[in-house]
Amino acid sequence: MDFLTALINGLSSGGTYAIIALGYTMVYGIAKMLNFAHGDIIMIGGCVMYSVLSAKGNPLLAILAAVVFCVVLGVTIEKLAYKPLRGAASLAVLITAISMSYLLQSVAQIYLKSGTPALSALRLEGSVNIGSFRIDYSTILTLAVTIVVMVALSLFVKYSKTGRAMVAVSEDRDAALLMGINTNFIITITFAIGSALAAIAGYLMLCKAPILTNTLGSMPGIKAFAAAVIGGIGSIPGAMLGGILLGVVESISYSIPVLAPFTEAVEFSILIIILLVRPSGILGKMRREKV
Amino acid sequence: MSRNGIGAKKIQWKYYINYIVIFAVAAFYTVLSLTGNIKQSETSLLEKIAIAIILASSLGMVVGFLGELSLGHAGFMCIGAFLGGKVSAILAESLGNGILTLVISVIIGGVAAALFGMIIGLPALRLRGDYLAIVTLAFGEIVRTVIMNLPEGLFGGTLGLKTPRFNNKHLFIIAFILVLVCIAVIQNLLRSRHGRAITSIRDNEIAARATGIDVTKYKLLVFTISAFFAGVAGVLYSYTQSNVQSTNFDYNYSIEILVMVVLGGIGSINGSIIAATLVTFLNVKLQTILTGDLAVLQNLFYALILILIVIYNNAPGLKGFREKYNFKSIFGKIFKRKSVAEAPNASGGAAPENNQGEEN
Amino acid sequence: MKRTIIKVFAVCMCLALLAVSFAGCKKLEKDTYVIGVSGPLTGGNSGYGVAVKNSAQMAVDEINEAGGLDGVKFELVALDDQHDASKVETNYASMMDKGMHVALGCVTTNPCLEFAALSKTDNVFFLTPSASANDVVKEDNAYQMCFADGNQGSVAAKYVNGLELDTIGIFYKSDDAYSKGIYDQFKASLDDSIDTVEASFVGDATDFSTQIEALKDCSFIFMPIYYTPASNFMLQAKGKVADTATYYGCDGFDGIESADGFDISAIPQKVSMLSHFNSKATDGKAGEFITKYTEKYGKDTLNQFGASAYDCVYAIYNAMKAAADAGEDISPNMTASELCEILKAQFNGGFTFSGATGTNIKWQSSGYVDKEAIAFVIKEQG
Repeated sequence: MDFLTALINGLSSGGTYAIIALGYTMVYGIAKMLNFAHGDIIMIGGCVMYSVLSAKGNPLLAILAAVVFCVVLGVTIEKLAYKPLRGAASLAVLITAISMSYLLQSVAQIYLKSGTPALSALRLEGSVNIGSFRIDYSTILTLAVTIVVMVALSLFVKYSKTGRAMVAVSEDRDAALLMGINTNFIITITFAIGSALAAIAGYLMLCKAPILTNTLGSMPGIKAFAAAVIGGIGSIPGAMLGGILLGVVESISYSIPVLAPFTEAVEFSILIIILLVRPSGILGKMRREKV
Repeated sequence: MSRNGIGAKKIQWKYYINYIVIFAVAAFYTVLSLTGNIKQSETSLLEKIAIAIILASSLGMVVGFLGELSLGHAGFMCIGAFLGGKVSAILAESLGNGILTLVISVIIGGVAAALFGMIIGLPALRLRGDYLAIVTLAFGEIVRTVIMNLPEGLFGGTLGLKTPRFNNKHLFIIAFILVLVCIAVIQNLLRSRHGRAITSIRDNEIAARATGIDVTKYKLLVFTISAFFAGVAGVLYSYTQSNVQSTNFDYNYSIEILVMVVLGGIGSINGSIIAATLVTFLNVKLQTILTGDLAVLQNLFYALILILIVIYNNAPGLKGFREKYNFKSIFGKIFKRKSVAEAPNASGGAAPENNQGEEN
Repeated sequence: MKRTIIKVFAVCMCLALLAVSFAGCKKLEKDTYVIGVSGPLTGGNSGYGVAVKNSAQMAVDEINEAGGLDGVKFELVALDDQHDASKVETNYASMMDKGMHVALGCVTTNPCLEFAALSKTDNVFFLTPSASANDVVKEDNAYQMCFADGNQGSVAAKYVNGLELDTIGIFYKSDDAYSKGIYDQFKASLDDSIDTVEASFVGDATDFSTQIEALKDCSFIFMPIYYTPASNFMLQAKGKVADTATYYGCDGFDGIESADGFDISAIPQKVSMLSHFNSKATDGKAGEFITKYTEKYGKDTLNQFGASAYDCVYAIYNAMKAAADAGEDISPNMTASELCEILKAQFNGGFTFSGATGTNIKWQSSGYVDKEAIAFVIKEQG
C-alpha cells in the first residue's frame, strides 16, 4: 500500500515536472537555446498569485493573473535579452539565460522582502478515501491538469496551423523561413506557451506546498530540464514521459528509508544511465553526424 | 593561440606575459605580507581570486578548447575539497599543519578528482553538447549528495568536514604558486602538438578522427587534467575554511565558473584569468559594500552587470557600436603601437564555437 | 591582435591590483566601538538575520542616545552571509578592516562555526544571539545568548520522557547543523522505551507528502526545524495527521505565528515550543522590547533572534561598563584582543544580565548560557 501511495504521489509530482519540462523542450526545439530562467518564471507566477491574494483577490483570479503576467514576462524576456543574441555563440545565450535567472530571483527577493510567505488560500485540502487508502485532491488535480495539458498541446501541435509551423521551425528554421513562416512570431508564441505552462506548474506546486520562496523554481527547474533530456530534448511526448518517470523515481526513492537521503543522487543517476544507453534520450531523434 | 615568426630564436615575450603579471602581483603582495602591511580582507580576496583562476582556466580548457560544455566543475572541486581536507586533517596531527601536509593533500585531492574526471570523460565520448552538459551537472549533484550523506566519521556528514585552516596569512602565496603551475601545464599542453589535436576535435571531430587523431585519448586527457586542477582548487578552498560543507558545491557554483569562462572569451585562457579576477572581485565587493538594508541589491547588480556585458560583447546587432566603443578605442592611446583590427573583447564571439552538436 | 589582448590583459591585472590595494586604504578614525555581525540578510533564512540586524541596531541607537560608553558611541556593521559559511571569511575580514572591537558572531549556526574559527586567530570576543551548536563556543572567546543545541535537545527529551508516550514522530532537516545537532542530542537523551518514527528532508524541499505519510499516525511530533518548513509541514499535514496531535519544536519555531500568510489558528493540532523568549509577553523587558520593535520595524520580523540580539548588545555594553567602573581602561583605540580579555574576565567572573530573553542570565566559562527555558504553548488544540 505504501508503494502504491508513493507511486501516485510520484505520478503527481511527475506531472508537474512534465509540465515544466514541456516549456524547456519547446523552447529548446524552436529557439535552440536552454532557457535556464524557465524555472524562475514559475516562481514569478507564485509572486503574482501572492500579490493578488494579498489584495484580497480570489484564488482563481490569482491563477489567471499569474498566467497572463508570466506570458507577458516570458515574451518580454525573449525580446529584450534573447532576441538581440540570436545568431551569437550559443554559450553567450546560455549565460544570458543564467543571468536572467539570477535577475528574476533577486527581483523576487526584493519584492518578497526576503520573506517566505505562505499562500494558504491556494492550498487544496481534503482527499478521497478508499478504505485506508487516500488520494489528495491536489494529487488528483495535478494528474488531471497534466493530462489535459498534454492532450491539448499534442492536438495543438498536430492540427493547428501555428502548431505545425512550430514543428517546421524546430525541424529547420531556415527552410521554414523560406516557406513563408514568420519564425520570430513562432518563437514568441513558443515562449508564451512555455511561460503559461510554467505559471500553471507554479500553481500545482503551491497547491501542494504553499510556501513561496525566491528559489521556488530552481531545483524543480533543473529536474525538469533533466526530465526533458531523459525523454529526448525537443520532443514533446519525451518531456511528458521523462517528467513522469523522474517524479515516480523520486517518490519511490523517498519512500525507501535507506535511499531517502540519496534521492537526488538516485534521480540523477537514472538520468546518466539512460543517456549512456540512449545518448539522445528515450524518444529523442538520433542524428547522424556528417562531415 | 597562433604562432608567428617561424623558427624565431627570440623569446616570445607575449607567451609569458600572463606568468609575469601574475608573478608580479603575487610578489608585490608577498612583500607586503612579509613586511606586515597586508589586510586580512586582501589576503582573503587574493585566495579567492587564485582559486577562481585555477577553476576558470581548467574549465576553460574543456569548454574553449575541447568544445564540450561541462556543468559539473564544482563536483570535482568538491571531491578535492573533501578528500584533500580529510587527508590534511589526518596528516596535520602527525606532520603538523605545514607546507608538507599541504603539498600531500593537494596531490591526493587533485588525483582523486582526476580519477573522477576520467570517469566522467567516458560519457563525453558518446554524448554531445547539452546532453553532456546535463550529465556533468547530474554528476556534480550526485557527488554533493553522496558526500553529504555518507557516515559522519568519513566526511563529516551533513555538518561538514572539519579541516585545518592554514593559520598564517601566507596561504595566498602558495595559492598563486599553484596558479602558475596550473597555467603552465594548461598552456604548454594547448600550445603543443596535443593542443592542436584537441582544438581539431573541437572544430570537427569526425575530420579529426579521420586524420588519425586518437579522439578518445585526448578527450579523456582534457577531462582528467581539468578535473585535477579543480580538485587542487578544492583542496585550497578547504584550507581557507575551517568547516567544508558540500552544500556549497551545487550546480550554481559550476555555473558561476562557467560564467567566468564565457565572460573571458571562449578559447582564451588569459580571458578566463581576467574574468575570474574581475568576477570574484565584483562578488566580494558587492558583498561587503552593500551592507544592511542594501544587501538585497547584491544579486540584482550582479545579474544586471552580467546580462549587459554578455549582450554588449555578443549581440550581432551591436557590432558597429562595439567597434566604435571598445577597450582598444578607449585605452587605445595608452598603447603606442598601432594594433590590428578586431576588438579584444569580441574574442568570445569570434572564437570558433561548437558546443551544440545540433548545429553542425 | 594578440598583442592587444596581452596589453589589455596587463592593464586589467594592474587595475585589479590597484583596486585590491586601494580597497581598504581609508584610514579609520577610531572614535567609536565597532560591533560586527554577519547573518542572512537575504535568502531563505533572512527573517532571522533581518531581525538580528534591526534589533541590534535598535539597541545601539538607544545606547548612543543615552550617551554611549563614557561619551563614546557604538557602531554596528551588519553584513550579509546568506546562511552560507563560505561567505563568512570575506565578511569577517571586512569587519576587521572596519576596526571591529567586538562581535555578535553569525546569526545562523553553520556560518558561525566558521566565524568562531576566524575570530579565534585574532582573539575577538563574540556573543552570538542565536548560533546554537555546541561547537560554536568551543573556543574561549565565544559565548552564546541562546541555548546550545545539545542543551535544547536534552531539555526537550526530558520533557518528552515525562509525557508517557509509546511512540513519537521526529521530523528534522538532516543537512542543517542546527536541526541535526538537536536531533542527535534528543535521540541520545530519549528513554529507550519510547519508539521513534523518523522522517527528514534536505535542502529547499517543499513537498513533504512522503514524510507526512510516514508520520501520520504519530500523536506527538518533535520538529527541531526552523519555522518556514514547519509551517509548510503543518499546512500539508492538515487532515492527515490526527487533529489531536501535538507539534513540539525548539527555538526555531519562534516567529511561526507571525509568518506571512500563515494562519496558525487554522491548524487544528497543538503547537508548542521550547524557548527563552515569550513573544506574547506584554510586560517586563520582553514586553518592552516587543512594543519598541513593533513600532519601529513592524511585526513581520519580530522573533526571539531579535530579542536575543538586543540582549547581546546590552550585555556587551553592560559588561564593558562594569569593567570600566571597576577601573579597567577601555577606549576605542584598544585592539579587539585587549577588549576580549577584559570582557572574558567579566563574563567568567560572575557577570549577570537581565533582558528580554531572561533574568539573571549567567555564563559558564565554557561559553554556554545559564538561564530558564520556557515551555511555551503557541496554540492549543482546535
